Amino acid sequence: MLPDTATIQEAARAAASELTGKNIKEGQKLVTSGLIDSLAVLKLISLLEKKLRIVIPPETLQPEDFDDVALMVETIERVGRTPR
Amino acid sequence: MTFNSLTYLGFLFAVVATFWALPVIARRALVMLASIVFYASWDVRFVWLPVVVAGVVFMCGKGMQAGGRNAKRWMWIGSSSLLVLLAVFKYRAFVLENLARLGIQPWHSGSWSVVTIAFPLGISFYTFEAIGYLIDVRQGRVKMPGFVDLCLFFLFWPNILSGPIVRARELMPQLGFARKFEPRLAFEGVDRIVWGLVQKNVIANVLGTWVDRGFGGPPVASHSTLDSWFLAIAFGLQIYFDFAGYTNLAIGAARLIGVELPENFRHPYHASNPADFWNRWHMTLSRWIRDYLFFPINARWKGAPGPLYASLIGVMALVGLWHGAGWGFLIWGTMHGVYLVTYRAYEGLAVERPALKSSRLVAAFWRIATLAGLAAAWVPFRAAALAKTFSVWSAMFFRFTWRAEYNALFYTVTLLVILFCVIEPLVMGILREVEEQAGEGGPSMFRIVFRPVAHLLGFTLFLVFDQGYSQFIYSQF
Repeated sequence: MLPDTATIQEAARAAASELTGKNIKEGQKLVTSGLIDSLAVLKLISLLEKKLRIVIPPETLQPEDFDDVALMVETIERVGRTPR
Repeated sequence: MTFNSLTYLGFLFAVVATFWALPVIARRALVMLASIVFYASWDVRFVWLPVVVAGVVFMCGKGMQAGGRNAKRWMWIGSSSLLVLLAVFKYRAFVLENLARLGIQPWHSGSWSVVTIAFPLGISFYTFEAIGYLIDVRQGRVKMPGFVDLCLFFLFWPNILSGPIVRARELMPQLGFARKFEPRLAFEGVDRIVWGLVQKNVIANVLGTWVDRGFGGPPVASHSTLDSWFLAIAFGLQIYFDFAGYTNLAIGAARLIGVELPENFRHPYHASNPADFWNRWHMTLSRWIRDYLFFPINARWKGAPGPLYASLIGVMALVGLWHGAGWGFLIWGTMHGVYLVTYRAYEGLAVERPALKSSRLVAAFWRIATLAGLAAAWVPFRAAALAKTFSVWSAMFFRFTWRAEYNALFYTVTLLVILFCVIEPLVMGILREVEEQAGEGGPSMFRIVFRPVAHLLGFTLFLVFDQGYSQFIYSQF
């Protein structure tokens, strides 16, 4: 089972802050603002997988699915799954 | 009807005036009719093509929405059919020509002119929109609209010829045309159109006369190092102002009827490195490549260096070929791939040596190397033949002579345009600030004096520099 929304939200904020070296706030755009590029999104996905101990299959994803914390939560709840 | 012709401007005025006079329910029919007339004005034989593209997307989208195991198959059928259509029109002659050079001639009886077919304008742009649409449907990001909605999406006149390449989820919801008229839409639309006309006629076309002479005639071999660099830089400036001008005209026309199209440029020659350039140049193509090619490929390999470097070169070579069926475009794209690989390799190194990241000298090196690399890559993009490319490169990098063979005006104009590029973000920032200070309400000096005077001046310049008929560079792609 996936972690609850609050846990995912906290992990998303922490992962984005760790990756950018900045304190990422709710609603702050990461991809469309140019703060991170598509390769950094791949690192962000790896960080989120580690922090939440889940798998995020990237096949149906686009970088802007990780544009802010709320979108990250929505994306993880849509496609994330626990490892087998 | 080119965007920078009086005929088109008259057409635009008539469509916009009628649009706002009509009830919302009739506006879609007007925009559809205007789009068909506009596309037919280029070549009436190809009006069916965007409709066929809409048909392919509609059929395959329906297949995907039925769900089940076949959804993926429908996406591949749709995307492959669209790519075949593109290949037939755009790459057939190139492939056959190169096969002939190798002594392979599939059509034994006919001459080569038999297999030469006309090129439908905008096909590269709306084919990419269509493939993106299919992938978005497959990923559950958009729902399938009706067939007529799809036709309108692909035929929409402001962006059918050369983009911006839009996503269904950003344009489709606006095609109901339910927005109420606001004076802001008219001001912003006219701002963009007038600036686009100036960019095209005053800057791009003026530089173009020297660039055409330099790249077009036989004397390229005799160019000096100085002239070759100026020529490459002048073409880089010409294509930027040409394409940015076109994009402003497209965005402005759409805004006049209340539709927002995405931006395509963000001061590209201010790029701090090759990767940054692609976040600033033809941004809607970069976004398409990133979302539907680059990200899925690298997600599969978790961003590992080997597949990353291979995909950068492969994808950029494809981007080159997307621009046109020719070796020059392929070389241009591959060079950008090599630049990106070099920069990504440096980034990998900089993780282990943080001093590199904080060094101003290294940052300055990347900025200068990026600009020099861009100028060098524009040479094969513009030169009509590979021999000319090598001759210009030879003068730029190996055969150093410093004669100035053009008239002084060429160097002066090129330097002035470079200067304008340098201060462009500052000028745009000041204008934005002045407009924000003027606010939404009541009259202000900006609204009553500055804006109309600027529009009048810009339009006068457009007329003074009008060459009658001048095609936009990107409409050939």
